[in-house]
Amino acid sequence: MTTVQPTQPSFWNDTGKTGLAAWIFSTDHKRIGLLYFYSTFGFFLVGVLLGLLLRIELMAPGRTIMGPQTYNALFTVHGVVMIFLFIIPGFQGSFGNLVMPIQIGARDVAFPRLNLFSWWLYIIGAVIIITSLFTGGGPPDTGWTFYVPFSSRTGTNVSLAVFGVFVVGFSSILTGLNFITTIHRLRAEGMTWGRLPLFVWSLYATAWVQVLATPILAITLVLVMAERLLGTGLFDPGRGGDPVMYQHLFWIYSHPAVYIMILPAMGVISDVIPVFSRKPIFGYKMIAFSSIAIAAFGSLVWGHHMFTSGMSDTAILVFSFLTFIVAIPSAIKVFNWVSTLYKGSISLDAPMLFALSFILLFSIGGLSGLILGAAATDVHVHDTHFVVGHFHYVIFGGAGFAFFAAMHYWLPKFYGRRYAEKPAIVAWALMFVGFNVMYFTMQVLGMKGMPRRYYDYLPEFATLNLVATIGSWILVAGLIVMLVNLFRGLFRGEPFVGNPWGGATLEWTTATPPPTENFEEEPVVTHGPYDFRGTGIP
Amino acid sequence: MNSAYLTTTTEAIDPVFMFIFGACLVLLVGITAAMVFFVVRYHRSRAPEPTSQATGNLWLEVVWIVLPTLLVLVMFYYGWAGYLALRNVPKGAMEVTATARMWSWSFAYANGRTSAKLYVPVNKPVRVELVSLDVIHGFYLPAFRVKRDVVPGMKNYAWFVATKPGSYDLFCSQYCGTGHSAMITTVEALPEAEFAAWLEQRTGKGEPPGHELLEKHGCLGCHSLDGKPGIGPTLKGIWGRSETVLSNGAERHISVDEAYLRRSLLEPNADVVKGFQPVMPPFAGVLTEAEVKAIVAYLRTGGAAAAKLDGRKLAQEKGCLACHSLDGSRGVGPTFKGLFGAKVTVQRGKTKTIVTADEGYLRESIRQPEAAVVEGFQAIMPTDPALSDDEVTALVEFIEGLR
Repeated sequence: MTTVQPTQPSFWNDTGKTGLAAWIFSTDHKRIGLLYFYSTFGFFLVGVLLGLLLRIELMAPGRTIMGPQTYNALFTVHGVVMIFLFIIPGFQGSFGNLVMPIQIGARDVAFPRLNLFSWWLYIIGAVIIITSLFTGGGPPDTGWTFYVPFSSRTGTNVSLAVFGVFVVGFSSILTGLNFITTIHRLRAEGMTWGRLPLFVWSLYATAWVQVLATPILAITLVLVMAERLLGTGLFDPGRGGDPVMYQHLFWIYSHPAVYIMILPAMGVISDVIPVFSRKPIFGYKMIAFSSIAIAAFGSLVWGHHMFTSGMSDTAILVFSFLTFIVAIPSAIKVFNWVSTLYKGSISLDAPMLFALSFILLFSIGGLSGLILGAAATDVHVHDTHFVVGHFHYVIFGGAGFAFFAAMHYWLPKFYGRRYAEKPAIVAWALMFVGFNVMYFTMQVLGMKGMPRRYYDYLPEFATLNLVATIGSWILVAGLIVMLVNLFRGLFRGEPFVGNPWGGATLEWTTATPPPTENFEEEPVVTHGPYDFRGTGIP
Repeated sequence: MNSAYLTTTTEAIDPVFMFIFGACLVLLVGITAAMVFFVVRYHRSRAPEPTSQATGNLWLEVVWIVLPTLLVLVMFYYGWAGYLALRNVPKGAMEVTATARMWSWSFAYANGRTSAKLYVPVNKPVRVELVSLDVIHGFYLPAFRVKRDVVPGMKNYAWFVATKPGSYDLFCSQYCGTGHSAMITTVEALPEAEFAAWLEQRTGKGEPPGHELLEKHGCLGCHSLDGKPGIGPTLKGIWGRSETVLSNGAERHISVDEAYLRRSLLEPNADVVKGFQPVMPPFAGVLTEAEVKAIVAYLRTGGAAAAKLDGRKLAQEKGCLACHSLDGSRGVGPTFKGLFGAKVTVQRGKTKTIVTADEGYLRESIRQPEAAVVEGFQAIMPTDPALSDDEVTALVEFIEGLR
């Protein structure tokens, strides 16, 4: 491939508005992508801080640094921030926006103004959620699940918080709609469905989940507000309502939502592993198809959150069965990723280390999910720290580490500068060790019977809780090293030009940083996304 | 299941754990080993160029679709079979009702005895009916691998059997607010004889047999002892009371005496007190002559007067002590120690005032906790509409005694 000599200015230097307005009113998908990145990643850091405080409180039995009411509010806010303000909007908003249009050879998304509006909705929702922490009865203390009847009785500011989540939900729906349309309508010439990068496939599957499932969350949250403000009694057994029905409604969205979190992560991994192995992805079609299968079957397994709720045994039979079925496409992906390494030429750069550790951490999370999917074993570990550990293995070890991989892999492309390799590897090693010390210990605690959302615990759980807390410090130390190195590099590091990773997808054919309309001229695609023979790597 | 040998819940669940864990461990070690081997073997330092451009292999992919499918189906089957063991209560199980409220447990036994810990005999299956008075709680016994949510308005149950005497943790597993992590108690498994003795032992000692009979036959579900109206007339001060009754559609005035009580027990619908429905089942053939005599004798003493309520026991059973300590330590709510007669700053509406925690204040705090909340505490205390006036009095007297 020949080096591109840019004739158009990069998207950083295009003319028009300046200052803040050039960003918050821009309809350029790359600028919106960076807006999303900094806002969602900022909330990630807030969530990390809250999580760290929770772990410090749990370091020893009894009161350590806060009282029970504060603790309950903190784990609620930790969950709401991490889920609704970081990981659900994070991938689609940041890397989906930054990379997807370029990967399909488009100048922008299908509806650039709607894209900007989605970010604004997200920010408005976030502001409402933050307002709910400091007004009314104080931060909500219901857990991110807002289970009734507790959430309809508590005096804390639940109504405003769920309204904020409601608004953020619309941002998610509109982004999904935008991406589906973009991927259908704006692919460049020659970009057939069989040549779509797997990251785009995963975004496509995710977008359908966002469009179809999020409205159910929206209506559920409206019902919670109605319960609190109007006393409708829909979930109150004293007035013919049913609290378990709330759980169904909540999980009909919130289980598919975990696929909104993990599918794009799987897409990142499917893009990174071939590049650093210099070998085509093994089983492209099967990986693309499994994304769709996960999105489809994943929408039918919500009831596995409710095996102890008292719903019928028939429902438990069906949901347990479907849960095991949805494990299969995930297993296929893992086998295909590992096979891609076979007979490759593997380079262990930071994005690759994050991707490889994703496979391991996601596998631990996925396999512990089998214990939760089996009805007999779920009963013991349900609502214990085992679930907390499982969830963090999948969503932090999985989606989170993939997010870090994407940050190291793609952000230099948009800044034209890169991080230093050695500190990045040190940071990865610290995070990997700290992560496992913390969350594996939590899974053991759950097996021993420690319930989740416990402010205080019996002495028998003390040692392991201390170990988990120490793990959290190692993890945060690694995170700090990563942040300093990455952002220092993006603004002051070595130049990053051309195609240093040797990628074969379209974003590596355009200038670094890309021009406003992404390509000098509309690209014509002639080979698959992982066909490295044409990329002219030395 | 062999009827001579009872499979415990733990014995039903643990093999499923072992099987799934084992299979997962094999998979995880396999995946990790392959990954590490490939990374080392095909590292760019050893393999400067890829030696394959394979894009897939149909047979290999079929293999790793089919094998995991078979494996997860087996896991599903074992998981389901084990779960059924949790649902099928063995015949002859002892019944206990667990009542959960924010944030305490109370257990009621067939003979009317209640306790804050769950006492069970060893080697006897126990079926626990789960009742919630407020929000969703979770009944969790880690040692027995048993968990079931306690959902208001829903009839959930769990069962377990303890094979060794001892004390086992009982947790609330479903998040229920400030006191969630303090909502813990124990299962006390006792040898059979010891359990039988415990069950018969009455804590409110000297309670007359008549009172026990009223509990046993469920009379108190409709007839209160404290003057509160129920489905039937209260039994407080019933002896000698003048009532208007309907006998075959005709009103007449009577004074309650032994003959009237007797007839009301055996043929309750012969003379129904005006204003009440003729819904009481007749006890002719159910009560022995001796039992009728005992009940009548008990009611002659005035019922409520005889049943002196134990404030401490009440505070424990109603869950007060989950938040209010007895030893001066700070809990979710103010400690009871030294509370009576103390001057406390409270938030009443929008204004702060200093009040003396006297009988009037304590009564109000029990009935309407949010009306005047002590400074520094959250307005989160629940009310219990089922609390009778006599029970409130007993609680206040108990707190007074802790001065």
